[in-house]
Amino acid sequence: MPFKGLRDFIEALGRSGDLVRVEREVDWNLEAGAITRRVCEIGERAPLFLRVKDYPGHRMLGAPLATYRRFAVAMGLPPDTPVRAILDEFDRRSRGRLKPRVVDRSQAPCKQNVMRGEEVDLFRFPAPMVHEGDGGRYLATFHLVVTRDLDSDWVNWGMYRVMVHNRNTMGGLILPGQDIGRMYVKYEAADRPMPYAIVIGPDPMSAVASCMSPGPGETEADIAGALNGEPVEVVRCETCDLYVPAHAEIVIEGEVLPKVRVEEGPFGEYTGYRTSPRMPRPVFTVKCVTWRDDPIVPLANMGVPVDDSHIIFSVTWRQDVLNAVSKFPITGVYVPPESAGHVAIIGVHKVYEHIAQHVADAMWGSKMGYLMPYCIVVDADVDVYDMGQVLHALFTKLHPIRGVHGRPGPGHGLFPFMSLEERRWGKGAHLLLDCTWPFDWREGIERPQRAGFTTIYPKELQERVLANWKAYGF
Amino acid sequence: MEYELFIDDTSALRQGEPVELFIRDTERYEAKYVRAIVADSRDKLPEGEVLWLRYTRGLKRPQPWYIKIVQELEGLPMVEGPLG
Repeated sequence: MPFKGLRDFIEALGRSGDLVRVEREVDWNLEAGAITRRVCEIGERAPLFLRVKDYPGHRMLGAPLATYRRFAVAMGLPPDTPVRAILDEFDRRSRGRLKPRVVDRSQAPCKQNVMRGEEVDLFRFPAPMVHEGDGGRYLATFHLVVTRDLDSDWVNWGMYRVMVHNRNTMGGLILPGQDIGRMYVKYEAADRPMPYAIVIGPDPMSAVASCMSPGPGETEADIAGALNGEPVEVVRCETCDLYVPAHAEIVIEGEVLPKVRVEEGPFGEYTGYRTSPRMPRPVFTVKCVTWRDDPIVPLANMGVPVDDSHIIFSVTWRQDVLNAVSKFPITGVYVPPESAGHVAIIGVHKVYEHIAQHVADAMWGSKMGYLMPYCIVVDADVDVYDMGQVLHALFTKLHPIRGVHGRPGPGHGLFPFMSLEERRWGKGAHLLLDCTWPFDWREGIERPQRAGFTTIYPKELQERVLANWKAYGF
Repeated sequence: MEYELFIDDTSALRQGEPVELFIRDTERYEAKYVRAIVADSRDKLPEGEVLWLRYTRGLKRPQPWYIKIVQELEGLPMVEGPLG
Protein backbone atom coordinates (compact mmCIF):
# COMPACT_ATOMS: atom_id res chain seq x y z
CA MET A 1 0.00 0.00 0.00
CA PRO A 2 1.99 3.02 -1.18
CA PHE A 3 1.65 6.36 0.56
CA LYS A 4 1.56 9.53 -1.49
CA GLY A 5 2.52 11.66 1.46
CA LEU A 6 2.92 11.93 5.19
CA ARG A 7 -0.80 12.32 5.82
CA ASP A 8 -2.02 8.98 4.54
CA PHE A 9 0.91 7.37 6.40
CA ILE A 10 -0.30 9.05 9.60
CA GLU A 11 -3.77 7.65 8.98
CA ALA A 12 -2.27 4.19 8.59
CA LEU A 13 -0.37 4.60 11.86
CA GLY A 14 -3.66 5.45 13.50
CA ARG A 15 -5.28 2.30 12.13
CA SER A 16 -2.38 0.08 13.24
CA GLY A 17 -2.39 1.49 16.78
CA ASP A 18 0.99 3.22 16.36
CA LEU A 19 -0.12 6.83 16.80
CA VAL A 20 -1.06 9.05 19.74
CA ARG A 21 -3.03 12.21 18.95
CA VAL A 22 -1.82 14.82 21.44
CA GLU A 23 -4.62 17.32 22.03
CA ARG A 24 -2.82 19.28 24.75
CA GLU A 25 -0.87 22.32 23.51
CA VAL A 26 2.82 21.57 23.14
CA ASP A 27 5.69 24.05 22.86
CA TRP A 28 7.88 23.88 19.75
CA ASN A 29 10.67 25.06 22.03
CA LEU A 30 12.06 21.84 23.56
CA GLU A 31 8.78 20.34 24.79
CA ALA A 32 7.90 18.60 21.52
CA GLY A 33 11.52 17.45 21.33
CA ALA A 34 11.55 16.13 24.88
CA ILE A 35 8.32 14.20 24.37
CA THR A 36 9.60 12.75 21.13
CA ARG A 37 12.92 11.80 22.71
CA ARG A 38 11.16 9.92 25.48
CA VAL A 39 8.91 8.26 22.93
CA CYS A 40 12.02 6.95 21.21
CA GLU A 41 13.69 5.76 24.38
CA ILE A 42 10.69 3.75 25.60
CA GLY A 43 9.52 2.56 22.19
CA GLU A 44 6.20 4.41 22.37
CA ARG A 45 3.76 5.26 19.61
CA ALA A 46 4.39 8.26 17.37
CA PRO A 47 2.94 11.50 18.76
CA LEU A 48 0.91 13.72 16.45
CA PHE A 49 0.93 17.14 18.11
CA LEU A 50 -2.37 18.78 17.17
CA ARG A 51 -1.81 22.13 18.91
CA VAL A 52 1.58 23.81 18.73
CA LYS A 53 2.26 26.89 20.84
CA ASP A 54 2.44 30.11 18.77
CA TYR A 55 1.42 28.22 15.63
CA PRO A 56 -2.35 27.75 15.35
CA GLY A 57 -3.29 25.49 12.46
CA HIS A 58 0.08 23.78 12.41
CA ARG A 59 0.81 20.23 13.55
CA MET A 60 3.95 18.24 14.24
CA LEU A 61 4.60 14.51 13.98
CA GLY A 62 7.22 13.05 16.31
CA ALA A 63 9.34 10.00 15.61
CA PRO A 64 7.62 8.89 12.41
CA LEU A 65 9.85 5.85 11.79
CA ALA A 66 11.41 5.22 15.19
CA THR A 67 10.28 1.60 15.44
CA TYR A 68 10.38 -1.37 13.11
CA ARG A 69 6.60 -1.53 13.49
CA ARG A 70 6.20 1.92 11.96
CA PHE A 71 8.79 1.08 9.31
CA ALA A 72 6.74 -2.00 8.40
CA VAL A 73 3.59 0.12 8.16
CA ALA A 74 5.46 2.58 5.94
CA MET A 75 6.28 -0.31 3.62
CA GLY A 76 2.67 -1.47 3.61
CA LEU A 77 3.55 -4.58 5.60
CA PRO A 78 1.76 -5.86 8.71
CA PRO A 79 3.11 -3.91 11.70
CA ASP A 80 4.33 -7.04 13.47
CA THR A 81 6.40 -8.23 10.51
CA PRO A 82 9.67 -9.73 11.85
CA VAL A 83 12.78 -7.61 11.32
CA ARG A 84 14.41 -10.13 9.02
CA ALA A 85 11.31 -10.22 6.83
CA ILE A 86 11.25 -6.41 6.66
CA LEU A 87 14.90 -6.39 5.62
CA ASP A 88 14.39 -9.12 3.03
CA GLU A 89 11.42 -7.31 1.50
CA PHE A 90 13.33 -4.03 1.49
CA ASP A 91 16.23 -5.77 -0.23
CA ARG A 92 13.90 -7.14 -2.90
CA ARG A 93 12.14 -3.84 -3.57
CA SER A 94 15.26 -1.69 -3.45
CA ARG A 95 16.74 -3.55 -6.40
CA GLY A 96 13.95 -2.19 -8.61
CA ARG A 97 13.66 1.25 -10.12
CA LEU A 98 10.54 3.29 -10.91
CA LYS A 99 11.04 6.76 -12.29
CA PRO A 100 8.95 9.57 -10.79
CA ARG A 101 5.81 10.78 -12.52
CA VAL A 102 5.66 14.51 -13.15
CA VAL A 103 2.34 16.10 -12.26
CA ASP A 104 0.95 19.52 -12.91
CA ARG A 105 1.18 22.16 -10.25
CA SER A 106 -2.62 22.02 -9.85
CA GLN A 107 -2.29 18.39 -8.72
CA ALA A 108 0.45 19.14 -6.21
CA PRO A 109 -0.80 19.86 -2.67
CA CYS A 110 2.63 21.22 -1.76
CA LYS A 111 1.79 24.24 -3.95
CA GLN A 112 -1.32 25.24 -2.00
CA ASN A 113 0.56 28.17 -0.45
CA VAL A 114 3.59 30.08 -1.60
CA MET A 115 5.83 32.90 -0.44
CA ARG A 116 8.69 34.30 -2.46
CA GLY A 117 11.51 36.78 -2.18
CA GLU A 118 10.97 39.37 0.51
CA GLU A 119 7.86 37.56 1.72
CA VAL A 120 9.89 34.56 2.84
CA ASP A 121 9.78 34.04 6.59
CA LEU A 122 10.89 30.65 7.89
CA PHE A 123 9.59 31.54 11.35
CA ARG A 124 6.14 31.07 9.90
CA PHE A 125 6.63 27.35 10.59
CA PRO A 126 7.04 25.62 13.96
CA ALA A 127 10.64 24.64 13.48
CA PRO A 128 11.43 22.77 16.68
CA MET A 129 14.23 23.53 19.08
CA VAL A 130 14.94 19.83 19.35
CA HIS A 131 17.53 19.58 22.14
CA GLU A 132 18.51 22.11 24.79
CA GLY A 133 21.67 23.80 23.56
CA ASP A 134 21.26 23.03 19.88
CA GLY A 135 22.66 25.65 17.57
CA GLY A 136 19.27 26.56 16.19
CA ARG A 137 15.81 25.41 15.26
CA TYR A 138 16.12 22.39 13.02
CA LEU A 139 13.20 22.67 10.64
CA ALA A 140 14.56 19.79 8.60
CA THR A 141 14.94 16.54 10.56
CA PHE A 142 12.77 14.18 8.47
CA HIS A 143 13.08 15.39 4.95
CA LEU A 144 15.13 15.17 1.81
CA VAL A 145 17.38 17.66 0.07
CA VAL A 146 17.27 17.68 -3.73
CA THR A 147 20.29 18.84 -5.72
CA ARG A 148 21.55 18.31 -9.26
CA ASP A 149 25.11 17.69 -10.33
CA LEU A 150 26.74 20.69 -11.97
CA ASP A 151 27.85 18.91 -15.15
CA SER A 152 25.44 16.00 -15.54
CA ASP A 153 21.77 15.07 -15.07
CA TRP A 154 22.48 13.24 -11.82
CA VAL A 155 19.95 14.28 -9.18
CA ASN A 156 20.62 13.47 -5.56
CA TRP A 157 18.14 13.04 -2.74
CA GLY A 158 19.73 13.03 0.70
CA MET A 159 18.78 13.70 4.30
CA TYR A 160 21.15 16.28 5.75
CA ARG A 161 20.42 18.36 8.82
CA VAL A 162 19.44 21.99 8.21
CA MET A 163 18.72 24.71 10.79
CA VAL A 164 17.17 28.16 10.59
CA HIS A 165 19.51 31.14 10.92
CA ASN A 166 16.95 33.84 10.24
CA ARG A 167 13.83 34.45 8.22
CA ASN A 168 15.45 33.63 4.88
CA THR A 169 18.73 31.87 5.59
CA MET A 170 19.54 28.40 6.81
CA GLY A 171 22.69 26.52 7.67
CA GLY A 172 23.52 22.89 7.12
CA LEU A 173 26.10 20.18 7.52
CA ILE A 174 27.60 19.04 4.22
CA LEU A 175 30.42 16.52 4.28
CA PRO A 176 32.71 15.92 1.31
CA GLY A 177 32.06 12.16 1.40
CA GLN A 178 28.34 12.65 0.94
CA ASP A 179 26.77 12.81 -2.51
CA ILE A 180 25.65 16.38 -1.87
CA GLY A 181 29.23 17.17 -0.87
CA ARG A 182 30.55 15.74 -4.13
CA MET A 183 28.16 17.99 -5.99
CA TYR A 184 28.76 21.05 -3.85
CA VAL A 185 32.54 21.04 -4.33
CA LYS A 186 31.98 21.24 -8.08
CA TYR A 187 29.76 24.30 -7.68
CA GLU A 188 32.34 25.84 -5.36
CA ALA A 189 35.13 25.21 -7.84
CA ALA A 190 33.04 26.99 -10.49
CA ASP A 191 32.17 29.73 -7.97
CA ARG A 192 28.49 29.15 -8.59
CA PRO A 193 25.62 28.77 -6.11
CA MET A 194 24.06 25.31 -5.94
CA PRO A 195 20.26 25.27 -6.35
CA TYR A 196 18.51 23.09 -3.80
CA ALA A 197 15.05 22.12 -2.63
CA ILE A 198 14.40 20.90 0.89
CA VAL A 199 11.36 18.68 1.04
CA ILE A 200 9.96 18.54 4.56
CA GLY A 201 7.51 15.77 5.33
CA PRO A 202 7.58 13.68 2.18
CA ASP A 203 6.04 10.20 1.99
CA PRO A 204 8.03 7.90 4.28
CA MET A 205 9.69 5.78 1.59
CA SER A 206 10.99 8.87 -0.18
CA ALA A 207 12.60 9.93 3.09
CA VAL A 208 14.05 6.43 3.52
CA ALA A 209 15.28 6.26 -0.06
CA SER A 210 17.10 9.55 0.46
CA CYS A 211 19.22 7.79 3.09
CA MET A 212 20.45 5.28 0.52
CA SER A 213 23.40 5.75 -1.74
CA PRO A 214 23.01 4.16 -5.14
CA GLY A 215 25.98 6.17 -6.40
CA PRO A 216 26.71 8.80 -9.00
CA GLY A 217 24.27 8.87 -11.87
CA GLU A 218 21.45 7.18 -10.00
CA THR A 219 18.73 9.07 -8.23
CA GLU A 220 17.09 7.94 -5.02
CA ALA A 221 13.77 9.10 -6.47
CA ASP A 222 13.72 6.00 -8.67
CA ILE A 223 14.34 3.79 -5.63
CA ALA A 224 11.57 5.54 -3.70
CA GLY A 225 9.19 4.54 -6.47
CA ALA A 226 10.35 0.94 -6.30
CA LEU A 227 9.99 0.89 -2.52
CA ASN A 228 6.48 2.29 -2.80
CA GLY A 229 5.50 0.07 -5.70
CA GLU A 230 4.45 3.04 -7.79
CA PRO A 231 6.17 6.17 -9.07
CA VAL A 232 6.56 9.13 -6.74
CA GLU A 233 4.54 12.04 -8.04
CA VAL A 234 6.81 15.04 -8.42
CA VAL A 235 6.31 18.65 -9.42
CA ARG A 236 8.70 21.28 -10.69
CA CYS A 237 10.07 23.83 -8.26
CA GLU A 238 9.04 27.46 -8.52
CA THR A 239 12.52 28.94 -8.85
CA CYS A 240 14.74 26.24 -10.35
CA ASP A 241 14.68 23.14 -12.51
CA LEU A 242 14.42 20.64 -9.67
CA TYR A 243 11.47 18.34 -9.00
CA VAL A 244 10.06 17.56 -5.58
CA PRO A 245 7.45 15.13 -4.21
CA ALA A 246 4.12 16.78 -4.93
CA HIS A 247 2.46 15.66 -1.70
CA ALA A 248 5.16 16.99 0.63
CA GLU A 249 4.19 19.20 3.53
CA ILE A 250 6.69 22.04 2.97
CA VAL A 251 9.20 22.74 0.19
CA ILE A 252 11.99 25.27 0.64
CA GLU A 253 13.81 26.42 -2.48
CA GLY A 254 17.02 28.37 -2.73
CA GLU A 255 20.75 28.20 -3.25
CA VAL A 256 23.74 26.99 -1.27
CA LEU A 257 26.28 29.78 -1.58
CA PRO A 258 29.77 28.91 -2.78
CA LYS A 259 32.91 29.46 -0.72
CA VAL A 260 31.26 30.98 2.32
CA ARG A 261 30.35 29.51 5.69
CA VAL A 262 28.37 30.68 8.69
CA GLU A 263 28.48 29.09 12.12
CA GLU A 264 26.06 26.14 12.31
CA GLY A 265 25.27 23.62 15.02
CA PRO A 266 25.85 22.05 17.39
CA PHE A 267 23.13 19.41 17.19
CA GLY A 268 22.36 16.28 19.18
CA GLU A 269 23.19 13.66 16.62
CA TYR A 270 22.41 10.06 15.76
CA THR A 271 25.49 8.81 17.57
CA GLY A 272 23.70 9.63 20.82
CA TYR A 273 25.94 12.60 21.56
CA ARG A 274 26.42 16.21 20.59
CA THR A 275 29.87 15.57 19.20
CA SER A 276 30.88 18.18 16.70
CA PRO A 277 31.07 21.82 17.76
CA ARG A 278 29.48 24.88 16.29
CA MET A 279 31.54 25.54 13.20
CA PRO A 280 31.39 27.55 9.99
CA ARG A 281 29.29 25.50 7.59
CA PRO A 282 27.48 26.03 4.26
CA VAL A 283 24.80 28.69 3.89
CA PHE A 284 21.39 27.94 2.37
CA THR A 285 19.66 31.10 1.17
CA VAL A 286 15.91 30.83 0.65
CA LYS A 287 14.13 32.17 -2.42
CA CYS A 288 10.75 30.58 -2.07
CA VAL A 289 8.68 28.37 0.22
CA THR A 290 5.59 26.40 -0.77
CA TRP A 291 3.44 24.39 1.60
CA ARG A 292 0.23 22.49 2.09
CA ASP A 293 -2.70 23.92 3.99
CA ASP A 294 -2.30 23.22 7.73
CA PRO A 295 1.19 21.79 7.28
CA ILE A 296 2.61 19.05 9.45
CA VAL A 297 6.26 19.44 10.50
CA PRO A 298 7.83 16.06 11.22
CA LEU A 299 10.33 15.85 14.06
CA ALA A 300 12.94 13.11 14.15
CA ASN A 301 14.75 13.59 17.45
CA MET A 302 18.20 12.14 17.01
CA GLY A 303 20.09 11.01 20.07
CA VAL A 304 20.51 7.89 22.15
CA PRO A 305 19.18 4.89 20.20
CA VAL A 306 16.61 3.93 19.11
CA ASP A 307 15.14 6.71 17.02
CA ASP A 308 14.20 7.21 13.38
CA SER A 309 17.78 7.56 12.22
CA HIS A 310 18.84 4.22 13.73
CA ILE A 311 15.90 2.32 12.28
CA ILE A 312 16.47 3.85 8.84
CA PHE A 313 20.24 3.23 8.96
CA SER A 314 19.68 -0.35 10.05
CA VAL A 315 17.83 -0.80 6.77
CA THR A 316 19.51 1.53 4.28
CA TRP A 317 23.14 1.28 5.41
CA ARG A 318 22.63 -2.44 5.83
CA GLN A 319 21.44 -2.57 2.23
CA ASP A 320 24.64 -0.92 1.03
CA VAL A 321 26.73 -3.41 2.99
CA LEU A 322 24.62 -6.30 1.74
CA ASN A 323 25.13 -5.21 -1.85
CA ALA A 324 28.87 -4.98 -1.25
CA VAL A 325 29.29 -8.42 0.35
CA SER A 326 26.63 -10.41 -1.49
CA LYS A 327 29.22 -12.12 -3.69
CA PHE A 328 30.63 -13.84 -0.63
CA PRO A 329 29.01 -16.91 0.96
CA ILE A 330 27.17 -14.90 3.59
CA THR A 331 24.21 -15.95 5.70
CA GLY A 332 23.00 -12.50 6.64
CA VAL A 333 23.85 -8.90 7.47
CA TYR A 334 22.45 -6.93 10.38
CA VAL A 335 23.13 -3.38 11.51
CA PRO A 336 21.58 -3.26 14.99
CA PRO A 337 19.80 0.05 15.65
CA GLU A 338 21.23 0.12 19.18
CA SER A 339 24.72 0.51 17.68
CA ALA A 340 23.75 3.83 16.08
CA GLY A 341 24.61 2.24 12.78
CA HIS A 342 28.25 1.82 13.79
CA VAL A 343 28.54 -1.94 13.41
CA ALA A 344 27.62 -4.44 10.75
CA ILE A 345 27.27 -8.04 11.85
CA ILE A 346 27.90 -10.42 8.98
CA GLY A 347 27.40 -14.18 9.02
CA VAL A 348 29.60 -16.25 6.69
CA HIS A 349 30.20 -19.80 5.62
CA LYS A 350 33.86 -20.07 6.43
CA VAL A 351 35.10 -21.67 3.25
CA TYR A 352 38.63 -20.31 3.54
CA GLU A 353 40.87 -18.71 6.12
CA HIS A 354 40.72 -14.92 6.44
CA ILE A 355 37.31 -14.71 4.77
CA ALA A 356 36.33 -12.39 7.61
CA GLN A 357 38.99 -9.88 6.55
CA HIS A 358 37.94 -10.26 2.94
CA VAL A 359 34.29 -9.58 3.76
CA ALA A 360 35.16 -6.67 6.05
CA ASP A 361 37.31 -5.11 3.34
CA ALA A 362 34.36 -5.31 0.95
CA MET A 363 32.08 -3.73 3.53
CA TRP A 364 34.45 -0.86 4.18
CA GLY A 365 34.82 -0.42 0.46
CA SER A 366 31.12 0.30 0.13
CA LYS A 367 29.86 3.87 0.00
CA MET A 368 28.34 3.71 3.48
CA GLY A 369 31.15 1.60 4.87
CA TYR A 370 33.06 4.54 6.24
CA LEU A 371 30.11 5.32 8.50
CA MET A 372 30.45 1.91 10.16
CA PRO A 373 33.79 1.63 11.96
CA TYR A 374 33.04 -1.81 13.41
CA CYS A 375 32.49 -5.13 11.70
CA ILE A 376 31.67 -8.38 13.48
CA VAL A 377 31.94 -11.56 11.42
CA VAL A 378 30.38 -14.74 12.76
CA ASP A 379 30.10 -18.31 11.58
CA ALA A 380 27.05 -19.55 9.73
CA ASP A 381 25.59 -21.21 12.82
CA VAL A 382 25.07 -17.82 14.47
CA ASP A 383 21.86 -15.93 13.66
CA VAL A 384 23.08 -12.40 12.98
CA TYR A 385 19.64 -10.99 13.80
CA ASP A 386 19.72 -12.52 17.30
CA MET A 387 21.88 -10.27 19.48
CA GLY A 388 21.98 -12.94 22.20
CA GLN A 389 23.66 -15.33 19.81
CA VAL A 390 25.98 -12.62 18.53
CA LEU A 391 27.10 -11.67 22.03
CA HIS A 392 27.68 -15.33 22.84
CA ALA A 393 29.90 -15.69 19.78
CA LEU A 394 31.66 -12.42 20.53
CA PHE A 395 32.75 -13.49 23.98
CA THR A 396 33.43 -17.15 23.33
CA LYS A 397 34.80 -17.40 19.80
CA LEU A 398 36.68 -14.13 19.48
CA HIS A 399 40.35 -14.56 20.27
CA PRO A 400 41.38 -11.42 22.20
CA ILE A 401 44.51 -11.02 20.08
CA ARG A 402 44.24 -13.09 16.90
CA GLY A 403 40.61 -12.16 16.25
CA VAL A 404 40.97 -8.41 16.68
CA HIS A 405 42.02 -6.43 13.63
CA GLY A 406 42.21 -2.67 14.06
CA ARG A 407 43.63 -0.27 11.53
CA PRO A 408 43.41 3.35 10.41
CA GLY A 409 40.63 4.25 8.02
CA PRO A 410 38.43 7.08 6.90
CA GLY A 411 36.54 8.66 9.74
CA HIS A 412 33.56 10.87 10.28
CA GLY A 413 33.34 14.14 12.14
CA LEU A 414 30.54 12.86 14.33
CA PHE A 415 32.32 9.76 15.70
CA PRO A 416 32.36 10.33 19.48
CA PHE A 417 35.46 8.19 20.11
CA MET A 418 37.72 10.26 17.88
CA SER A 419 39.80 13.14 19.16
CA LEU A 420 38.93 16.67 18.14
CA GLU A 421 41.81 16.68 15.70
CA GLU A 422 40.75 13.36 14.18
CA ARG A 423 37.15 14.55 13.83
CA ARG A 424 38.26 17.72 12.11
CA TRP A 425 40.21 15.90 9.45
CA GLY A 426 38.18 12.69 9.21
CA LYS A 427 40.99 10.50 10.51
CA GLY A 428 39.18 7.40 11.66
CA ALA A 429 39.78 3.74 12.29
CA HIS A 430 38.23 0.37 11.57
CA LEU A 431 37.93 -2.64 13.81
CA LEU A 432 37.13 -6.16 12.64
CA LEU A 433 36.12 -8.66 15.30
CA ASP A 434 36.51 -12.07 13.71
CA CYS A 435 34.32 -14.48 15.66
CA THR A 436 34.79 -17.43 13.35
CA TRP A 437 36.64 -20.59 14.24
CA PRO A 438 40.07 -20.91 12.59
CA PHE A 439 39.76 -22.77 9.31
CA ASP A 440 42.36 -25.36 10.24
CA TRP A 441 40.67 -26.40 13.49
CA ARG A 442 39.48 -29.95 13.00
CA GLU A 443 35.95 -31.06 13.79
CA GLY A 444 35.93 -33.09 17.02
CA ILE A 445 39.52 -32.16 17.91
CA GLU A 446 40.33 -28.42 18.14
CA ARG A 447 36.86 -27.11 17.23
CA PRO A 448 34.58 -26.96 20.31
CA GLN A 449 31.16 -28.50 20.01
CA ARG A 450 28.31 -26.09 20.48
CA ALA A 451 26.31 -27.19 23.52
CA GLY A 452 22.86 -26.19 22.34
CA PHE A 453 19.56 -28.04 22.11
CA THR A 454 19.80 -28.35 18.36
CA THR A 455 23.49 -29.22 18.26
CA ILE A 456 24.33 -31.53 21.16
CA TYR A 457 21.36 -33.91 21.29
CA PRO A 458 20.41 -36.59 18.79
CA LYS A 459 17.93 -35.42 16.20
CA GLU A 460 15.39 -38.08 17.16
CA LEU A 461 15.55 -37.01 20.81
CA GLN A 462 15.03 -33.38 19.86
CA GLU A 463 11.95 -34.34 17.88
CA ARG A 464 10.61 -36.46 20.74
CA VAL A 465 11.12 -33.68 23.27
CA LEU A 466 9.39 -31.18 21.03
CA ALA A 467 6.53 -33.55 20.32
CA ASN A 468 5.99 -34.15 24.05
CA TRP A 469 6.60 -30.56 25.13
CA LYS A 470 3.04 -29.89 26.27
CA ALA A 471 2.83 -33.32 27.84
CA TYR A 472 5.77 -32.38 30.07
CA GLY A 473 3.59 -29.63 31.47
CA PHE A 474 5.08 -26.63 29.64
CA MET B 1 15.25 40.33 25.47
CA GLU B 2 18.02 37.86 26.29
CA TYR B 3 20.68 36.58 23.95
CA GLU B 4 23.05 33.66 23.58
CA LEU B 5 26.58 33.36 22.26
CA PHE B 6 28.51 30.17 21.49
CA ILE B 7 32.11 30.44 22.62
CA ASP B 8 34.65 28.18 24.31
CA ASP B 9 37.33 30.69 25.30
CA THR B 10 35.88 33.73 27.03
CA SER B 11 39.31 35.35 27.24
CA ALA B 12 38.88 36.06 23.53
CA LEU B 13 35.88 38.27 24.32
CA ARG B 14 37.07 41.85 24.72
CA GLN B 15 35.07 43.70 27.33
CA GLY B 16 34.22 47.38 27.40
CA GLU B 17 34.62 48.16 23.71
CA PRO B 18 32.47 47.32 20.70
CA VAL B 19 33.13 43.93 19.12
CA GLU B 20 31.41 42.06 16.31
CA LEU B 21 29.42 39.08 17.54
CA PHE B 22 27.15 36.40 16.06
CA ILE B 23 24.42 35.95 18.64
CA ARG B 24 20.83 34.77 18.76
CA ASP B 25 17.82 35.84 20.74
CA THR B 26 16.24 33.35 23.12
CA GLU B 27 12.63 33.94 22.10
CA ARG B 28 12.57 32.62 18.58
CA TYR B 29 16.28 31.85 18.19
CA GLU B 30 16.88 34.25 15.34
CA ALA B 31 20.54 34.81 14.49
CA LYS B 32 21.87 38.36 14.73
CA TYR B 33 25.16 39.79 13.57
CA VAL B 34 25.90 42.79 15.78
CA ARG B 35 28.45 45.22 17.09
CA ALA B 36 28.09 45.20 20.82
CA ILE B 37 29.74 45.87 24.12
CA VAL B 38 29.89 42.94 26.50
CA ALA B 39 30.82 42.54 30.15
CA ASP B 40 31.07 39.64 32.53
CA SER B 41 29.07 41.37 35.25
CA ARG B 42 26.04 43.59 35.58
CA ASP B 43 28.13 46.18 37.43
CA LYS B 44 30.35 46.71 34.41
CA LEU B 45 27.42 47.19 32.04
CA PRO B 46 24.35 48.30 34.00
CA GLU B 47 22.33 49.07 30.88
CA GLY B 48 23.17 45.71 29.31
CA GLU B 49 20.82 42.86 28.50
CA VAL B 50 21.47 39.28 29.55
CA LEU B 51 23.89 37.33 27.36
CA TRP B 52 24.10 33.62 28.05
CA LEU B 53 27.27 31.88 26.98
CA ARG B 54 27.36 28.35 25.66
CA TYR B 55 30.34 26.20 24.86
CA THR B 56 30.50 25.35 21.17
CA ARG B 57 29.03 21.92 21.91
CA GLY B 58 25.98 23.56 23.46
CA LEU B 59 26.58 23.37 27.21
CA LYS B 60 25.32 26.51 28.91
CA ARG B 61 27.54 28.31 31.41
CA PRO B 62 25.84 28.94 34.74
CA GLN B 63 26.43 32.69 34.97
CA PRO B 64 25.36 35.12 32.24
CA TRP B 65 27.31 37.99 30.78
CA TYR B 66 25.73 41.23 29.66
CA ILE B 67 25.46 42.85 26.27
CA LYS B 68 24.63 46.24 24.85
CA ILE B 69 23.97 46.10 21.13
CA VAL B 70 25.45 49.14 19.43
CA GLN B 71 24.55 48.28 15.86
CA GLU B 72 22.80 45.45 14.02
CA LEU B 73 24.95 44.55 11.02
CA GLU B 74 23.64 43.47 7.64
CA GLY B 75 23.56 39.79 6.77
CA LEU B 76 25.43 37.09 8.59
CA PRO B 77 29.15 36.79 9.39
CA MET B 78 30.39 34.75 6.45
CA VAL B 79 33.84 33.26 6.39
CA GLU B 80 35.76 30.84 4.20
CA GLY B 81 36.47 27.37 5.44
CA PRO B 82 36.59 23.62 4.71
CA LEU B 83 33.60 21.31 4.66
CA GLY B 84 33.03 19.39 7.84
